Amino acid sequence: MTTLWSGLADGALYALVGVGYNIVLLASGVFNFANAQLIMLGTYLAYFAAVTLKLPLVPTVLIGAAAVALIAVAEERLAIRPLMGRRDSHATLITSVGVAVALDGIVLRIWGSQPKSVPAPLSSKPLNLLGGTIEPTALLLIVLVIVVGVGLHILSKKTMIGLGSLASAEDREAAMARGVNVRALAIGAFALAGLIAGAFGVVVGSGTYANPGLGDNLALFGFVAIAIGGSGSQIGSLIGGFATGIIYAEVSRYTNADWPQIVVFALFLLILLTRPRGLFGGAVERQV
Amino acid sequence: MAPTTAVSPPALPWLRSARPLMMLGLGVLVLVAPWLGLGDYWSRQFILIAILALVVSGLNISLGYAGELALGQVALYAVGAYVAGYLAVSQGVTDILLCLLAAIGGAIVVGFVSGIPGLRLGGWSLAMVTFFLVIIIPNVLDLLSSQTGGALGLSGIPIPTIFGAQLVGDGFYVFVIAVTIIWFAIFRNLISSSHGDAFLVLKQSPILAATLGISVYRLKLLAYVVGAIPAGIAGVLFAFLSAYISPSSFAFALAFTILTASVVGGSQSIYGAIFGAAILQLGPERIASFQNYSLIVYGAFLVVAGLVFSDGIAGLIRSGLSQARRRGWLSGAAPIDTVGPLAVADAAVPTAVDEAAVGPLAGATTVSTPADETAAVIGDLAGEALTVTELRKDFGGVTAVDDVTLEAVPGQVTALIGPNGSGKTTLLNLVCGFYKPTSGSVRLGQVELGGLAPYRSARAGVARTFQTPLIPKGMRARAFVATGRYISHRVSMPASILRLPSFWRGSRDSDAEALRLLTLLGIAHVADSEVASLPLGTRRLVEVARALAAEPKVFLFDEVGSGLDEEDIQRLEEAIELIRRAGGTVVLVEHNFPLVLKIADRIHVLSQGALIASGTPSEIQANRRVLEEYTGSSDTADTIEELERADAAPGPPPAEPR
Repeated sequence: MTTLWSGLADGALYALVGVGYNIVLLASGVFNFANAQLIMLGTYLAYFAAVTLKLPLVPTVLIGAAAVALIAVAEERLAIRPLMGRRDSHATLITSVGVAVALDGIVLRIWGSQPKSVPAPLSSKPLNLLGGTIEPTALLLIVLVIVVGVGLHILSKKTMIGLGSLASAEDREAAMARGVNVRALAIGAFALAGLIAGAFGVVVGSGTYANPGLGDNLALFGFVAIAIGGSGSQIGSLIGGFATGIIYAEVSRYTNADWPQIVVFALFLLILLTRPRGLFGGAVERQV
Repeated sequence: MAPTTAVSPPALPWLRSARPLMMLGLGVLVLVAPWLGLGDYWSRQFILIAILALVVSGLNISLGYAGELALGQVALYAVGAYVAGYLAVSQGVTDILLCLLAAIGGAIVVGFVSGIPGLRLGGWSLAMVTFFLVIIIPNVLDLLSSQTGGALGLSGIPIPTIFGAQLVGDGFYVFVIAVTIIWFAIFRNLISSSHGDAFLVLKQSPILAATLGISVYRLKLLAYVVGAIPAGIAGVLFAFLSAYISPSSFAFALAFTILTASVVGGSQSIYGAIFGAAILQLGPERIASFQNYSLIVYGAFLVVAGLVFSDGIAGLIRSGLSQARRRGWLSGAAPIDTVGPLAVADAAVPTAVDEAAVGPLAGATTVSTPADETAAVIGDLAGEALTVTELRKDFGGVTAVDDVTLEAVPGQVTALIGPNGSGKTTLLNLVCGFYKPTSGSVRLGQVELGGLAPYRSARAGVARTFQTPLIPKGMRARAFVATGRYISHRVSMPASILRLPSFWRGSRDSDAEALRLLTLLGIAHVADSEVASLPLGTRRLVEVARALAAEPKVFLFDEVGSGLDEEDIQRLEEAIELIRRAGGTVVLVEHNFPLVLKIADRIHVLSQGALIASGTPSEIQANRRVLEEYTGSSDTADTIEELERADAAPGPPPAEPR
């Protein structure tokens, strides 16, 4: 059970990245590779606010959320928006990878390659729960990610903002013609994704530390989460993330350290081969 | 009768034909550099540049030409290095040619394993699968530590041999440079062949590629796997160069270096890989403090490059050359490659602009091809009957095509008319395979098309044009028309790479055929112009030529007349008449009612997805229901007049197809 709990805690991270990808994907059809780097940045800002500035929890979370949201909006403005509506779609692939690489570089430059420890917001005394042990902060992470994922799912399916963003991701021109403010939605999506990434800095960082390799690692597993769950499905990304985390944890329990990554990779390939749209993604028909 | 206009010569013909020779000369110069006084330091630098250039060129094929971002060149590079390392250290195989063969085989296998799942969806999946491939390198090496040395690495890789002789010093240098030259010759031959044109189409419009009968998935996979080959080769060269390899040589940061080198040099270029590799190899090493900022600089560079000069150094050189030409500093015809604004605006260009642009071009031609003279030229078209039986397509609760039954027979023009949203284009998409029918059947001759993938429909003999012509940027008309023959008159990749006689024959025939068809349509004067920058009317005619080049069994023309001026309509009519006389099957979806009445043999009228009338033009003209449908009025004489007036007015700009 302890393995399961640690799998869920890791899975929550992957789900969180997947949820962030989906927010932007649903609103503007762009895959923001740098989303995982935004979460990494959140952990560093949590370290900076809580350790360097010695601020209490609430301002730490607020600073992280505001700063990362700002950076995400800047990313949208500088690296993504100029490419929207252009024909060669792969340009955003390059620019969002560019933003990710630059963020990696900035973090390394400022804080160096040694991981920084982020103080846990809750006591670090493990809880005994359902026959296993888990740290309270990890439990908090799991709960918060589920709340955010389910909340966003409801938001995207039931509200005008959600439906408008679906429309704008589907067909930018048509949505514009219908009076959907495509640009505001895109900015809003990046801001929201940044806000969430920044706000989670403390909860994430206390488990993973603020470390410069976090972005690349999370990017990969977050993508596996949405590959399993189907891109665009928030609930799917929760399930995909938790499933990946649990599989990783279970495999690491029984084998040496090399296997978990390879098993997850094999699973990823298998999903792409058999259900390329994910377990919860619908088929999309092409039109001319 | 041939058009009187002279076909403008390709821009800077001497430069185009001389470029490969210039590059070859440069390569030979580098090859013999040790005897020209190249020191040890620089010969090692040159080797490292060559190795990086090989890896980058592989990425250029998949990213620049097939349009798929792959981050896994590092992994394929590692495969090459470890295959060579293992063979040399554990098996005592030092023959570098054997090692190269084995490494290429290994890279191809890994290419397929990652490419087959990675390309299923397009977009980011390949990037992520290959990203993962790089991340698990240390794990895999660790698991195979008895062969690879695990985290400690593989040391003591012996000096390579070739035909029993040791390759050291200058010998190794010459070998590396020679291999690099050979690879770039292969790469260049592949790209400047019909396959290179197919890659261009693939990258810019998968829909057009499928319409040409190209399996998008397979061609992308092929491009990606071909791109794996130079990475494997580079790995072997690196292993023998450094005599020691370890997981740290293949870290993920290298993937960013490779991507940056590709973008710096210009992903969609052949020799750009060499420039990019040279800059990345020499630049960072010169500046000691660069290491601290390298990631930030690479990242910022990728953003800027993605936004501004997506064609890299190669693109800058290209545009510099055309600037120089325009100002008369260089000889050669001024090229029509002002790709940017016109091509981007493609769909948004209002009709008025197109008509204005037609002016000078149309004035230059005095062509009106008499049908009977050219009928002999087009040859017989083996048209087949297209039979649609109770075809139905539902989107959710909306029925877009409602149990339609109709037939188009060879030697006739079958028109499909109806108001916007009546299901005409949906019907075409069902025939082409872009949609799967909910029920009913579509047959071409004896072949059932319903539910076939688009490229299979195309191969079965369906050719179509689009409401908004789908034309890739950077392609000349004759090359574009020749893409219609890519599948039907296929020249194999090995033949293209080795420039075998079949390649020369194939490209000569395709070129002649393309020119002949353009002449037939009276637009031979645009043969060497960039298609995307031509006026709408001419683009449509070029598309018709492209459809003809495929020698299909049925032609589907989707609103081919909209937005054309009188003269273009005239040419179009003649072209359709030609196809009809040659025995082709023509399906025409059209809004221009007078045009339809004039050239159609049978007219089918769709309304809200259902067929409401079928008949000859005069029957349809007299059909009250059709007129009501079109105008809401039932007074025959008035409405016909109204219709004709409405159609004479320029239509709205066509919508962008996706």
